Amino acid sequence: MAESEKDQFDEEDNEEDVQPEKRTKKIFSKELRCMMYGFGDDQNPYTESVDLIEDLVIEYITEMTKRALEVGRPGRISVEDIIFLIRKDPKKYSRVRELLTMSEELRKARKAFDEIKYATTK
Amino acid sequence: MDSPLSIQDMKPVIQSPDHTDRPNISPSVSPSTSSTKDLQKSPRKSSESETETESPDKGKSKSPSKTKASPSQDRKRKAEIDEETRQKNEKQEEERQKMQVLVSNFSEEQLNRYEMYRRAAFPKAAVKRLMQSITGTAISPNVVIAMAGIAKVFVGEVVEEALDVLELWNDSGPIQPKHIREAVRKLRSRNTIPNVKKKKVLLS
Repeated sequence: MAESEKDQFDEEDNEEDVQPEKRTKKIFSKELRCMMYGFGDDQNPYTESVDLIEDLVIEYITEMTKRALEVGRPGRISVEDIIFLIRKDPKKYSRVRELLTMSEELRKARKAFDEIKYATTK
Repeated sequence: MDSPLSIQDMKPVIQSPDHTDRPNISPSVSPSTSSTKDLQKSPRKSSESETETESPDKGKSKSPSKTKASPSQDRKRKAEIDEETRQKNEKQEEERQKMQVLVSNFSEEQLNRYEMYRRAAFPKAAVKRLMQSITGTAISPNVVIAMAGIAKVFVGEVVEEALDVLELWNDSGPIQPKHIREAVRKLRSRNTIPNVKKKKVLLS
């Protein structure tokens, strides 16, 4: 009984023992596979490659978030901070602009659609 | 439509083979609102000069005029801006048509890959959770959208560079971690990827 308890403890410890930098739980695996195939890799990319790219992505997002916290209003992140950080990189900059523009258009379209629906069902 | 398109077939349709052209070929519907003007004002590499007109006073016409604002000058400037917007929209329309022609000639494998390329995205919930675990504050949805988009471009840059490395080393098959690591090393030296590990030494 005591031994099985100790085993349980050990298991718990092992699970939480991983350092914060190393990731054992992969959160982007499925989407990342599709993405890598879309960008030119094989239809079945190697799992180690997917893991490596996931680590890179998480490190990138973490680094960007940390920098964004310092820029502009310290302690908060706004879209302008992201845009400021990305300003030197033409691909990312134009992609962000495009995404935000489209998102705004979608919002307007949805609002107009809802208004029409409201007017016709009144 | 029977044989997959080779690079030679696609050359006349694609404007330029290097990756800096990506901002031009927008895979999405091109918004024809005035905010496309902002797109053009963004700092871009010089290869995109074809989207900018070469008029010498273009810089003056885009910035808010601080000199005398006589009505005829205003009208002239407005006409210039309208003309530029029209040209821009025309070019975007042309690009979209070219894209349509290209996609309609894809083989099935190419279509699959293109669909994955357009559709694959990072789940907004996971990105938001990750960012909130770092900041501790709430993150607005626009920021999540921007960050997910940037991350996807990041993956694209790494994978494309890794494919170049793979070809350079005359390897074949799926990408291996060694290609990715070399790709990351190259991108870091180009300052495309922020370098966390380097210690900044001011005075030594």
